[in-house]
Amino acid sequence: MKEKILVANRGEIAVRLQRGIREAGFSPVAIFTAVDRRSHHLAHADEAIEVDSYLNARSILEAVRRSGAVAIHPGYGFLSENAEFAALCAEACVVFIGPTAAAIRALGSKTAARQAAQCAGAPIVPGTDGPVTSIEDAKRVSRIIGYPVLIKAAAGGGGKGMRLVETESELESAVRGAAGEAASSFGSAEVYIEKALIQPRHIEIQVFGDNHGNLVHLGERECSIQRRHQKVIEECPSPLVERYPEMRAAMGEAALRVARAAGYTNAGTAEFLVDTDRNFYFLEMNTRLQVEHPVTELVTSLDLVQMQLDVAFGGTLPVRQADVVLRGAAIQCRLYAEDPANEYLPSPGRIERLRLPAGPGIRLDNGVYEGWNVPMEYDPLLAKLCVWAQDRPRAIARMSRALRETEILGIANNVGFFRQLLADARFQAGDLHTGFLKEFHYVPNNDLSDAELEAALAVLGAAAPAPNPAPVAARSRWSQR
Amino acid sequence: MKRLLITEHVEKEIDFDPAAHPVAELESGSAVVLLGGEVHRITRAGDLILVNGKQIRLSLADPRDRRRNASANGDSGRRDVKAAMPGKVVKTLVNPGDIVEAGAGLLILEAMKMQNEVRSPRAGRVAAVRVAVADTVASGQVLVTLE
Repeated sequence: MKEKILVANRGEIAVRLQRGIREAGFSPVAIFTAVDRRSHHLAHADEAIEVDSYLNARSILEAVRRSGAVAIHPGYGFLSENAEFAALCAEACVVFIGPTAAAIRALGSKTAARQAAQCAGAPIVPGTDGPVTSIEDAKRVSRIIGYPVLIKAAAGGGGKGMRLVETESELESAVRGAAGEAASSFGSAEVYIEKALIQPRHIEIQVFGDNHGNLVHLGERECSIQRRHQKVIEECPSPLVERYPEMRAAMGEAALRVARAAGYTNAGTAEFLVDTDRNFYFLEMNTRLQVEHPVTELVTSLDLVQMQLDVAFGGTLPVRQADVVLRGAAIQCRLYAEDPANEYLPSPGRIERLRLPAGPGIRLDNGVYEGWNVPMEYDPLLAKLCVWAQDRPRAIARMSRALRETEILGIANNVGFFRQLLADARFQAGDLHTGFLKEFHYVPNNDLSDAELEAALAVLGAAAPAPNPAPVAARSRWSQR
Repeated sequence: MKRLLITEHVEKEIDFDPAAHPVAELESGSAVVLLGGEVHRITRAGDLILVNGKQIRLSLADPRDRRRNASANGDSGRRDVKAAMPGKVVKTLVNPGDIVEAGAGLLILEAMKMQNEVRSPRAGRVAAVRVAVADTVASGQVLVTLE
């Protein structure tokens, strides 16, 4: 009988992990909550167990016990960066597919990671040494480092529990808001403060370690296109690093120093901010597989989930640093259930129609299906549309083509937004920074030409019952009416 | 034949001949229409239609059925603040009788792990708070009434 691995997640990442688990010769076990009873990820599992929450370590470990799974893959979000959960897995003799509890503790909290980076000699952004203890403390620190400042969840990621504060009057409500969001998303209300850099780029380095002392970096990802501090487009390689290739080695070395100091194993990502003078600052270490890992996979020809499984069961890394080669260019668009014309408001609801792209160079990590009700309880990520091509201009052309083939009807979504963004001259020039989307103005273009209106009417008229029914010809796929 | 064309922005009577254009149904809900050799891609669910990737709401009615119930929302001093998205009420920030400034926070809605503060569209007095903490609200549901 095949050994089982439980995926403690939902949506597209649960699908991606179950695919990898199956390919590696294991049997995937899914968990789901009451609102996710009809979730797409169940179809990719051999076994599925209901739990009360994706955040409840106890019920997830109970599901592991019931299924007899030998390992847990936490995915991203939820319990993925929770050191206690990793420790509980170790106690229960279940392999936690990720770094050790000690490494998560050393790096998983953003405040701890900043201290670790300082010790390892990697540059960091000015800010608090530890979590904020009071509003007075927050005000004092913000005055010293100077506004604007960022309030961030110590346990956070994905822009949740983060607020940009321009003046002291906004500070208190921002700290409370961030802490509330942090508590509901990560189960910890701890926040800290960091100076907000002006027009920085967000560039991150993928690192990977095994239990035999091997540690490599797999190049960078450019993730500067963000809204609400959450990434929407990711690329590998970074257009900036492509112009200044010495940055890759320097940032890679800084990332490895931090990882080495923490005894890091398995997949991790060192996030950096890069200022307009190309100075880079270590931001945090994400001690998990990233949402944007596919672009690295496409450009390095490595399967990160396969490597995670191998390493977790004691295997060695399949590559040395010198073997890591970046080839071509990959772009990922995160398809979200949100309204880009209305402050990116989340848009749960029923997907009435879903048309997904295919063809050369397309990779689609999808978590939804036509007819599904996207629930309001979880993240609005529907699917990740990724492309690979020989170079960045061709990858952009390919993504534009793929977006033309992509149709989502019934809920607000960002497909039309991506079509415009990829046509933007500054985006095409690779002239990016994290405030890019504040300057890029998306105006939904839903004006139909006369011909388009006529075409729509033809379909409506064909579907509507005619007031005077004409004799209907034999049904054929091409029915002339 | 005369039909009434209804979109989000216009409502007008048009001459419409459904027999004039060939429609190729590709799969449930999707079709291609050829107009002078030009391909137009249509995907549709009810009155929601994507035409070459552009989304509109469009429906056809018989002009003889025209019986639009003119919106009887003439209570000029009152204004309903509606939910722009479905969500859960995390916190209410005002009580009936409170005087609020334009832009003041009225309540906090949470959906998809994002908390959004619903702000007052204008200055006024809170006539009623229509929801309570932990309520689930639909998009368009009235949250607060101002006067």
